[in-house]
Amino acid sequence: MRFWILVRKEFRESLPWLLLAAIVFFGFGGFCLRAMAFTGGRNWYYSRFSSGSIVAPDQLTHYSPLQITGMWLLVTSIGLGLILGVRHFWIPYFTGTWPFLLHRSVNRKTVLAAKLTAATIAFVISLGTVWVCFYWYANRPELFTIPQTGRVFIKGWISILMGFVVYLGTALSGLSTAKWYTTKIFGLGFAIFIITATSSQWQLTWAFVVIAVGVSILLSQIISLFLNREF
Amino acid sequence: MSDIVLETQGLTKYYGSTVAVDHLDMQVPRGCICGFVGRNGAGKTTAIKLMMGLLNPTAGSSRLLDCDSTALSPAIRQRIGYVTEGHRLFRWMSIAELERFQQAFFPKQWDGKFFANMIEYFDLPKKKKIKHLSNGQRAQVSLALALAPNPELLIMDDPTLGLDAAIRRQFLEGMIKLIMRQGRTVFFSSHILGDVERVADRIIVIDKGVLRANRSLEQFREAVKKAIFIFKDSAPAEIEIEGLLHCRRSEKELEVILIGTGEEKIAAWAKSAGAAQYKIVQMNLEDQFIEFTAPPGRKKLFRWEEL
Amino acid sequence: MALWIQISPGSSEPVYVQVAEQISEAIAKGQLASGDKLPAVRKLAAELVINPNTVARAYTQLEQAGLVTAKVGSGTFVADPKMRKADAVDMNILTERMDTLISRGLNLGLKATKLIEIFKARVEKFVINSNNKEE
Repeated sequence: MRFWILVRKEFRESLPWLLLAAIVFFGFGGFCLRAMAFTGGRNWYYSRFSSGSIVAPDQLTHYSPLQITGMWLLVTSIGLGLILGVRHFWIPYFTGTWPFLLHRSVNRKTVLAAKLTAATIAFVISLGTVWVCFYWYANRPELFTIPQTGRVFIKGWISILMGFVVYLGTALSGLSTAKWYTTKIFGLGFAIFIITATSSQWQLTWAFVVIAVGVSILLSQIISLFLNREF
Repeated sequence: MSDIVLETQGLTKYYGSTVAVDHLDMQVPRGCICGFVGRNGAGKTTAIKLMMGLLNPTAGSSRLLDCDSTALSPAIRQRIGYVTEGHRLFRWMSIAELERFQQAFFPKQWDGKFFANMIEYFDLPKKKKIKHLSNGQRAQVSLALALAPNPELLIMDDPTLGLDAAIRRQFLEGMIKLIMRQGRTVFFSSHILGDVERVADRIIVIDKGVLRANRSLEQFREAVKKAIFIFKDSAPAEIEIEGLLHCRRSEKELEVILIGTGEEKIAAWAKSAGAAQYKIVQMNLEDQFIEFTAPPGRKKLFRWEEL
Repeated sequence: MALWIQISPGSSEPVYVQVAEQISEAIAKGQLASGDKLPAVRKLAAELVINPNTVARAYTQLEQAGLVTAKVGSGTFVADPKMRKADAVDMNILTERMDTLISRGLNLGLKATKLIEIFKARVEKFVINSNNKEE
C-alpha cells in the first residue's frame, strides 16, 4: 500500500513531462505519418521500389512509413528519459527533499522501486500508447497499401526501451557522489554507449541482449548506490 | 520500553580531514525535552543526520529507540517524527495532498482532527501549494505533519531557524503538548537559548563537533557561575581554583567562570588569594552558553564528565 | 492566575525560580488566599509555554518553603500562613535583596530615617491589602 502511495507521488511529479513527451511524439510523429498517408503511402513505396522488383520482408521493415515516426519516437523517448532521470534523482538535491522522502516507514529500496516503477509506467502510458495508436493507424488499408510487420512494432518498443536506458543512466549520474564531472557523467555516458551499440545492428535479438545487459548493469549500480549512499 | 531513547557511542564523522562530529557519547532518557545547542557549524545538523541514518558514520554508532541508525526499520521510523533542516517539502503538493501522503504512512496513529485543528489555528489554506507558502507557513505545515502521527520520539533540526517569534512560540507549544503525553521525548537543536530555557529539561552542548555538556538544565544553570574577585593591589596573574574555565584579568579585578565549584570553595579561595571582596554573579543561559563555548585561552579545553 | 505570571527566559534567574517567586508574591499580596487551589501543573505549563517539570519544580520549592501544600489526587493548595517557615537560605536571599534596595536608596541621597519610613509605609500597605495579620 505504501509502495503505491510512493509510486503515485512519483508519477504525479512526472505527469507534466510524460504528457509533454506524448504530445510532442503525437504531434511530430503523427504529422509525418499522416503526411505519408495522404501524399500516398503508395507513392512513397513506389518511389522506393522500381516496379517489378521483389521486395524482401526485411526491406519492408526498413522502408516502413513508420520509420520517420520511429525516429521521433526515439528522440522523445531519450528526451523523456533524460527529464525523468533529472526529475527523480537530481531535483531532490536542489529542493532538499531527500530527508523528508527517505524518512518514510518503508525500506529504502522501496523508495527506489517506486521511482523506477513510476518511470516505467510513464514510458508505457505516454509513448507506448501513442506508438500503439500509430501502429494501428499505419495498418489501415485505406491509407497504406502494405501492412506493417510485427518487427516494426517491436522496433518501436526498442526505441522506448532505449529511452528507459537513458533514464537509468541519468539516474546513476545523479546519484553518483563523484566530485569531478567527468566521473559523475559516467552513468549517462554508459547509457549512450548502450543505445549506440543497440542501433549498430539491425537485429532484434542483438538489440534486446544489449539492452538487457545495459539495464542490468545500470540497475545494479543504482541499487547499491542508493542503498548505501549519504543524503 | 527501554529507558534510553537516543544513544550515541563514539559517533564520529570526518569530511576529508575535517572533523564534523568527534566521538560523541550521549544518552537521552525517555520523557524529556532535550535541547541540543551549539554555535553555527558546531556539528548539530551532521549529528542529527547521522542519527536519522542519512549519513554514514566514519566511526562509532548511534541508536534510536534501541535500533541502529544505519538500519532503522520501517516499524521504528513510524515511531519517530522528524522535522528536517529547512522544512523542505514537496513544492508541487498542496497542504491537503501532503496530508494524504503523510497519513498513508501512519495508518493507525494519524490524528486527523489534530492536524485539522493545527492547520486551522495557523490559518493555512489547505489547497495552497507548498511553493506558494512563506518560510514560516512551511514550518507550520512541517510541524503539523510531524506531530499528527503522535510520535514517540520527535527529532527537530533547528526548527525555528529564521522564523519570527510568534511561530517560534507555536513550535514550543507543540513540543509542550507532545511531551505531556506518556513516554514522549523531544530532541531539538537550536541556537536560541531562550527557547531552550523555556521548554528543555535537558541541555546538550556541542562545540566544534565535541560534546561539551550533557546535563539537566537545572544542573547546568546552577553549575556555570561567574565570580568576580576584587583585590586591593594587583590581581594575581596565575590562578588555580577548582572548576576554572576562563578567567579575565584587569588591574585589580579578576572575573572567573567556574563550573561546579561550590560557594565554600570560592570563599576559601578568595581568602587564600587575599581578595578584598568577591561576588558571585548569576548568569542567564545565553551568557552561560557563550562562556562555555568560548575559546579556552590559556586553559585547556574543559570536558565536563562528572556530576 | 497565569496572567499574573511573566516568564523572561533571558533573565539570570532560572524559570522555576521566576514562577515560584511570582506565586509567592501573589500569596504575600493576598491575591491568592490560603486554601486556594493553584492551577494544575500541566495547565500552567501549557499556558506559560514552559516544561511541566519546571512548574512542578516551582511547586516543590514553594512546598518546601511551606507556602503551599500538595494533596495527592486533588492538587496544590495555598497553605495556612502559620505553616510557613523561612529558612536560613531564604533569609540570606531576603537580606541580600534588602541590601540592594538600601544601597540604592542611600545613593539617591535619602537619609536613613527617611528610608526606614518609606519601608514601613510599604510593608503596611502590603499587609492592609492581604488577609494576613502581622506576626
